[in-house]
Amino acid sequence: MSDSMSRATKSVVTSAADEPFAATVDTNPPKLGVRNLTHRFMIGSPPSPLTVLQDIDVSIARGQFVCIIGESGCGKSTLLRMMAGLLTPSEGQVMHDGKPVNGVHHELGFVFQQDAVFPWLTVEKNVEYGPKSRGIAKAEREKLVAHWCESVGLTSFRKAYPKELSGGMRKRVDLARAYANGPDVLLMDEPFAALDVQTKGVMQEAVLQLWSATGKTVVFVTHDLDEAVFLSDVVIVLASRPGRVHAIVRNPLGRPRVEATRVSDEFAAAKRTLWNAMQDARKAGAIK
Amino acid sequence: MMRRLFSPAVAVGALSLAALVGVYWLLALRPGTNAALVPVPPKILAAFAEEIANGNLPTNMLASIQRVLIGFFIGAALALILGAMAGWFKWWGWILNPIIDAIRPIPALAYIPLVIVWVGIGEPSRLIIIALAVFKPCVVNARAGMQEVAQIYVDAARTLGASKWRVFTTVAIPSAIPYFIAGLRTGVSTGFLALVAAELIAAPSGLGFMIQNAGQYFRTDITIVGIIVIGVLGALLDQGASRAGRALTKWSDARKVQ
Repeated sequence: MSDSMSRATKSVVTSAADEPFAATVDTNPPKLGVRNLTHRFMIGSPPSPLTVLQDIDVSIARGQFVCIIGESGCGKSTLLRMMAGLLTPSEGQVMHDGKPVNGVHHELGFVFQQDAVFPWLTVEKNVEYGPKSRGIAKAEREKLVAHWCESVGLTSFRKAYPKELSGGMRKRVDLARAYANGPDVLLMDEPFAALDVQTKGVMQEAVLQLWSATGKTVVFVTHDLDEAVFLSDVVIVLASRPGRVHAIVRNPLGRPRVEATRVSDEFAAAKRTLWNAMQDARKAGAIK
Repeated sequence: MMRRLFSPAVAVGALSLAALVGVYWLLALRPGTNAALVPVPPKILAAFAEEIANGNLPTNMLASIQRVLIGFFIGAALALILGAMAGWFKWWGWILNPIIDAIRPIPALAYIPLVIVWVGIGEPSRLIIIALAVFKPCVVNARAGMQEVAQIYVDAARTLGASKWRVFTTVAIPSAIPYFIAGLRTGVSTGFLALVAAELIAAPSGLGFMIQNAGQYFRTDITIVGIIVIGVLGALLDQGASRAGRALTKWSDARKVQ
């Protein structure tokens, strides 16, 4: 694909992405806004600054399912950690409901790539951890635990320790724990990267169910194109070295999305659109 | 978890112990050996029965167990609290680390002359020496455990809204417990070492006193009984600590040894 053609694609889809959301969000600040964010790490000896993210400016509307996709090392996880307040950017800021994010906050839930379920707590104690941290009364916590264990299909494993569960089940615990804390936005950092293909597919459907049941905004980092196509409303494509927004692509794939969606022509077409944008991003990264 | 009585591990272990006794027995029977000073095993057994019958052994055992437990709890409690704080909170680390690292190479027994001069030769000085001996391995392990806490669990707790104190109590401490247990188990053996050393100095009772006293009267059979009892007691305490540790870390999928 020629450069001019992909650039044209980018501008077209970007404006297409802006329109449907602009109508609903117009007057309110975006659910999550990244403003002129630049980040540098000090690396090597003697230490010299490396720009990992440059001039990131993104608005995420309430209730959207946004995937951030890019090559390994493009800074997508770093960007997500900044959205969560786990990292502070060198320049610029992240806004949640128009207020700057300063450090972690329980309204910004996070699901990690690694296994982050506390191994010393049972499933139900893990799910209860967030509400208990926030001082929610025992009766209310019990309801939350029951509801969210049920939502991810772990009711019969409530008393089990994580070591007794499979990798996929532990991810369910992780999801239930994040949702049980009632966050406003869920930030997921390649949560299913370590799972086998089949489990991954099942978990993607689980995450879509949670998303449509709660209507909570989700920002989902992945390097897996199929995953991004299956899950997202909007895909933010990052280019590498330094990480920057290459394109914001509206995913044309309709909903609801089920198992069969993955083999539909519509899915293939949506994937092609995204693939083109990513190829373009790769070239832009390589030239730099 | 009942282990079969005649499992290969138990059988080989028993044979190995029997061989040790056999070798000793042969050496004791060697011509020219003074039978009064190198008693044969039946004589040691007789001394064992005698010491139980006259009440010396139970009295001294109780005195030693009480001493080692009190000293152990004082030393271990202080060590776990200070080690956990030093390993977790930056400021506490700055304050405590130089002290911990300074006392680290000093054997607890080196304090004995000082403790005797300062505190006297009474019970408190013996407890202090045991506590000091237990303190060192426990504090070093507790601190190491807190420094090894996986960042991912800390981040997870923080994004769930846990306060700094809650992260300390519900994430750092539970995940450091395997280290705490390792420290406590080492503490049990160093505590026993210090117990015997402390009882060799002018103690009115205890297993250390018993073996020392018997030695002075050339009753090596009683001394050997005392040594064996110390060994068995130490092993039992270590097993206790290990079992307590396993109960506390039943969530861990680390390989179980023993």
